[in-house]
Amino acid sequence: MSDRRLDLAATGPALFIILCIAAGLGVDSYSQYVIALAIVAILVGAALVVLVGLARCITLASGSIMALGAYASTLAVLDLGAPYLVSLLLALFAGAAAGWLIALPGTRFRGHNLAMVTLVFQSVCIILIRQSTWLTGGAEGIRVPSATVFGWTIVSDLGFLVLIGVLAAAMTLILTILLRGPFGKCLQAAANNEIAAEAFGVNVRGYLTAAFIVSSIAIAFAGALAAPRIRILDPDSFGILESIFLLAYPIVGGMQSVWGGLLGGGGLRILPELLRPVADYQELFYATLVIVIVMFFPGGLTELLRRGAALIGRSGRGRLSKAIAPGTPWSGTIPAVALPIPAPTPERAEKLLLVEAVDKHFDALHAVDAASLAVPVGAIHGLIGPNGAGKTSLFNIISGFLAADGGRIEFAGEPLLDLRARDRIRLGITRTFQNVAVFGQLSCLDNVIIGRGCNGVVEAMGASFDRFIAGAPTLQARREALAALDSAGLADQAQSLAGALSLGDQRRLELARAIVSSPKLILLDEPVSGVSEAEAEELRQLLLRINAERTIAMLVVEHNIPFVARLCRTLSVMGAGRVVAEGKPAEVIALPTVRQLYFGEEGPA
Amino acid sequence: MLAELGPVLIAGIKFGAIYALAALGLVVVHKATKTVNFAHGAFAMLGAFASFLIVVRWQWPYWAAYLLIPPAIGLVAAAIEFLILRRLRRADMFTVVIATVFLGIALAEGFRLTYNTELLAVPSPFAGAPFVVGGVYITRDTLWVITGALLAAVGCVILFRRGKLGRGMRAMASNIRGAQLCGYSIDHIYMLAWFLGGVLAGLAGVFIAPVTGVSVDLSIAVITAGFVAGVIGGFDSPRGAILGGLLLGIAESLSAAYVSSAMKNCISFLLLFVVLMWRPQGLFPERTARSV
Repeated sequence: MSDRRLDLAATGPALFIILCIAAGLGVDSYSQYVIALAIVAILVGAALVVLVGLARCITLASGSIMALGAYASTLAVLDLGAPYLVSLLLALFAGAAAGWLIALPGTRFRGHNLAMVTLVFQSVCIILIRQSTWLTGGAEGIRVPSATVFGWTIVSDLGFLVLIGVLAAAMTLILTILLRGPFGKCLQAAANNEIAAEAFGVNVRGYLTAAFIVSSIAIAFAGALAAPRIRILDPDSFGILESIFLLAYPIVGGMQSVWGGLLGGGGLRILPELLRPVADYQELFYATLVIVIVMFFPGGLTELLRRGAALIGRSGRGRLSKAIAPGTPWSGTIPAVALPIPAPTPERAEKLLLVEAVDKHFDALHAVDAASLAVPVGAIHGLIGPNGAGKTSLFNIISGFLAADGGRIEFAGEPLLDLRARDRIRLGITRTFQNVAVFGQLSCLDNVIIGRGCNGVVEAMGASFDRFIAGAPTLQARREALAALDSAGLADQAQSLAGALSLGDQRRLELARAIVSSPKLILLDEPVSGVSEAEAEELRQLLLRINAERTIAMLVVEHNIPFVARLCRTLSVMGAGRVVAEGKPAEVIALPTVRQLYFGEEGPA
Repeated sequence: MLAELGPVLIAGIKFGAIYALAALGLVVVHKATKTVNFAHGAFAMLGAFASFLIVVRWQWPYWAAYLLIPPAIGLVAAAIEFLILRRLRRADMFTVVIATVFLGIALAEGFRLTYNTELLAVPSPFAGAPFVVGGVYITRDTLWVITGALLAAVGCVILFRRGKLGRGMRAMASNIRGAQLCGYSIDHIYMLAWFLGGVLAGLAGVFIAPVTGVSVDLSIAVITAGFVAGVIGGFDSPRGAILGGLLLGIAESLSAAYVSSAMKNCISFLLLFVVLMWRPQGLFPERTARSV
């Protein structure tokens, strides 16, 4: 098998549309018209899978964006005399601008507030179209001229079907490529867990903005494609109800793949033709269908079909995992042999992380008071202290999720405090989370691939296309990710959904994700909280092994003193915001000041 | 000046009082259940439709509408909570919002199908000569809407703040697990919150029916106005919902009079936008204890 191969699965939805065109060749012109509109709906459905399914943003603005695309293209033809194909480009721009405009406030909100922001956009857009009579013809609408492509004026329904089908297939292919590639995975990660995504270099607002723009471009394009066949454009056909019904496409079809948008869009668009005798009940039926699906089949039609297929016994899985199986299978348990630990020589060891006099106030509370500590290259350093001592604040300042009020942090000689959290991974700092923060809807493998930190928005879009054409760069990423999973003892779980793992395995997955980029330092936030003693011991062995094999330094914040004492070679103890003691675990814990901090006693009891 | 501005302000306060009721229902449900009920507008529409049935269709006395409809809509809301929302309790906000959006559509469509007309007119409860205050005419109807709706809203706020029910809801809102440990049943509180939300929506519907008539559009008009008023006031503050409703009503009325009636909605959306961007906690948020 060659390393370079086209990702054929990504062409599926586009091929399906081409098949629809072929099917349209042999039917009457009304059916051709219906198929053409269904193809437009498929494109809208695919676009909404990006925004609603992957990014989990509710949008009630799709109708207005379709209108913007349709009006932009039509007005370009009418007023600027642009050829139809050029006017489509204008529709793309209109869509991009609209998506960006919604994202500007939209990425700040989730849930009901986002629904409302998009509803505002929808309503204002339609009001403006209705009011700008001089441009848009107002409520009466405008006649859309026939589309002319390369001197050929399209009037027949077959002509429309072919034109709409080919262009929609091209756009759907682009959406599918983005969705299946790193872009789609990072988008899902951003929607799954914002903080973890930021920690691994995913710019959450950037990705959500990109999702709004990409989906709006495709929706506006769909509107422009449909416009010549609609003949009369008027603002009321793109109202809020239309937006709500468009929202039903991905929900009914399924929100995890383009096939969902395809099934939902195509199905819901063709259904009214089949239900012609009871056409009046169409909206009620739609709304009920959505409620039933949300309540009982959250995966939508694709999930139902998949389950049906699984029942029949035709399982398509396994092929992929075999192709990328690592060299040695994971044995299942962590070797209990005592590992040789390279003895560090603190005098000579180069300082990797240097925290100097860092300050943090929360109003009157001095949470971190001139705290200083140092972690040498390859060391395991613990940070302990009673509740409220300022450990977590200091930890969050180092990881970049909290801004310091004063002081200095240097990492490998570079100042750290001015860097955003998501940029710190590039210097070689990663972290784990006290409340495990895996990307539950992604496979373990994809979780770890995101951990590599090459997650810029444009970068990921490019990588998605690379993956489609060649597959090669991702194969490299896969190998590294599988190696990291193997180190963490999860090689056999590579294809499992992260959200389905046990708590202990999720902690291992976090570790795999933290080490895959070969960082210099891992920040461990209470790695054994909520973990049984046996599992804690296994994790300790695992951490020691990772530290020894990959020479990754670790800074551990932890309440479990015996665990920290046996894991770390040096400790810092915090109390009331200050670092009160520092040194080897046994010595530090024996100090009277430390005992007093924890037990409030004057001397050893 | 007053003769010109007066009627505009009165009209604004009249709509504002109804918006306040609508917003209050949304806020009460949100406070107790952390859910924004996008079907709230449809509940109000059902209330308005019911008052058409009672007053016009069956020719019952008007007070029967005020007495019967709010609890009836409350029961409908509680039944929907029991049948649909209860099953979605472990789903995320995204799913719940989508469910209530389509629930609203289903209810509005149900109404459209049973009564396939554009607009049903409902007469005012009070006829008779208007009052004249400082040269400004105030119809009996307007006076009734303003005083009635505001009194009901204020009564609800007091109930929420003082009553046992309100305490349970607020406890539930601040810490579900804790409230359950203190003996509050999550099922009871959620159902009660929806019941109360339905009562307020029904009442808003009865008040608004003679003003705007009954149509499918009423559903979306009420939910947007209620939502905007809620956001302006601060979505967790019942007092804010009332003030936000009044503010929105007056702003709409002023912009309809001095800008253009088509831009009325744009103005209210602009208000929503400004508040969301610059003061997401609302203009009149609940005072909360500072936690350190």
